[in-house]
Amino acid sequence: MSMFGNFLLAASGNGASRNARAQQIALMSLLFLVLAGVIGATAGGFWLINLTAAYAVMLALMGTNVLFGQLGLVSLSQYALVGVGGWVSLWLFHAYKLPFEVTMLAGGLAAALVGVVWGLPALRFRGIYLALVTLMLAGAFQAFINAYNFPVGGTGLKRVLLDRPVIAQSDLAYFFYTAVVCLLGLVLVEAHRRSRPGRTWALIRRDPRLAVASGASIMLYQTWAFALAGFLAGIGGALLAGTYRQLDATGFGASESILLFAGAILGGSTNWVGTVVGGLLVRAVPTLLDSSGVPATVGLAVFGAGLIAAVLFGPTGIAGLFDDLVDKVSSRKATRKAKGEVGL
Amino acid sequence: MITINNLTVQFGGVRPLDGLSAELRAPVVGLIGPNGAGKTTLLNVLSGFVTPVQGSVRMDDVELLSLSPRQRVRAGLRRVFQQEMVVEDLTAFDNVMAIADHVSTVVTAAGEVEAAIDFVGLRAVRDVLGRRLSLYERRMTEIAKTLVGKPKVVLLDEPAAGLNDTETARLRKVVAAMPDRFGVQVVLIDHDADLIASVCHETLVLDFGKRLAIGPTAKVLEDPVVRRAYLGTA
Repeated sequence: MSMFGNFLLAASGNGASRNARAQQIALMSLLFLVLAGVIGATAGGFWLINLTAAYAVMLALMGTNVLFGQLGLVSLSQYALVGVGGWVSLWLFHAYKLPFEVTMLAGGLAAALVGVVWGLPALRFRGIYLALVTLMLAGAFQAFINAYNFPVGGTGLKRVLLDRPVIAQSDLAYFFYTAVVCLLGLVLVEAHRRSRPGRTWALIRRDPRLAVASGASIMLYQTWAFALAGFLAGIGGALLAGTYRQLDATGFGASESILLFAGAILGGSTNWVGTVVGGLLVRAVPTLLDSSGVPATVGLAVFGAGLIAAVLFGPTGIAGLFDDLVDKVSSRKATRKAKGEVGL
Repeated sequence: MITINNLTVQFGGVRPLDGLSAELRAPVVGLIGPNGAGKTTLLNVLSGFVTPVQGSVRMDDVELLSLSPRQRVRAGLRRVFQQEMVVEDLTAFDNVMAIADHVSTVVTAAGEVEAAIDFVGLRAVRDVLGRRLSLYERRMTEIAKTLVGKPKVVLLDEPAAGLNDTETARLRKVVAAMPDRFGVQVVLIDHDADLIASVCHETLVLDFGKRLAIGPTAKVLEDPVVRRAYLGTA
């Protein structure tokens, strides 16, 4: 099978054997790193910082994609969990001066824990009711963070900046560091998607009765998904804190969680391409519009229009359009193969 | 063997099952009756989605009503829903694997899935996504799902709905072969009297939640009471 064929399969999630699965993940990693390499080689200064933030946000998007793409659950508190991860990692740094990797993992674990608790309503509610409950949780976090703000390691005007990882002090090195962690997140999600949890999530999404009739524990697997989504968001929050070396409460309104969800829909929640596209849409495109003199509100309006278009014409998002293309190419190939014209 | 004793289900003032007692012994048992007779309700009681107000149900020596729905699945009870429930973005193999994950051991799961897929004749579409399977292939995937992880009793709710004659004939062969190959007892609900007559050794007829008749299929289908209630001819 050709390299391109593998790439198509990796994107459309149409895996067969364990070996092919490993190949697909390897190819995804390669493409992802090539993209990061191109960005690292061309972007600088302000843009590099912004794209680093976009990659950090991609981790939170992966969580949204697990909950929405895999389980069909609309959770609007995902960006607040980015804040939780950022808060915990900053606090641990300022209080104990722990190394970045330790504070990052702790931020991820703390957000996973909060994510599990915030995910409990999903055992009762789905659809619009779950969206409302989780939006209120995001609002509660907004109120909390506005009152207490993020730890800054001092009082008054004295601010201490977060130390980046020892191996990634410069902006460029830190961008690559973030991209690699982001890739590890993608591999983690793909590994889930293509094994027992992914199959069980699919059963729950199809019909909870089906999951029960298959002997699966909805509570266990749904809680697992919320833990994973929270963990990824928390890691993203720690990386975001490292990007700016501090965080500010104004960036963590409940509206950010809605924007993140919109980015997930627009990008597409069925595969990794959607995660990358969504991350760039949420973080890089608004900055692009801003820097070319377009008011931020126009950016939001464009985003909204895109969202309506996505819902009306392509519910699987930009990555879904990509999937369709893959479908057409591969089914044409299969037909030709059947006629004995070409071999894959 | 399934032993039902004095089973009653009550929804408000309605009794979909009303003091039902029956022993289902044959390898393939038919369950027929007019619309609203209580067939699907009985399946729901067996799989644990509906709790009866009284009565008992035993599968071999296991008292089912005291088990949770998941425990019943682990004990060997399998169910195919009236509406097919193949997952669109999983392959035929993964659709079957999704249940093997929870009822088989890690070591044997993949082998059991392959065997089930071969048995129902889906080898050629093993790696095709659910959304691209035909209705017949979906129905057969559903049957394959019931055959992994030491099943004991398989409940099929109108598995032939929407299939043409050729497909129904293939389905019939597969269902008839299930008891010998996998050691399961099959309970089959269907409106197709020919299908019931050709594959079920024994048939239970329900009407208004009560047992109208039970016995060898040919005899039951000839019973004047059954013909009046179910087939609409006196």
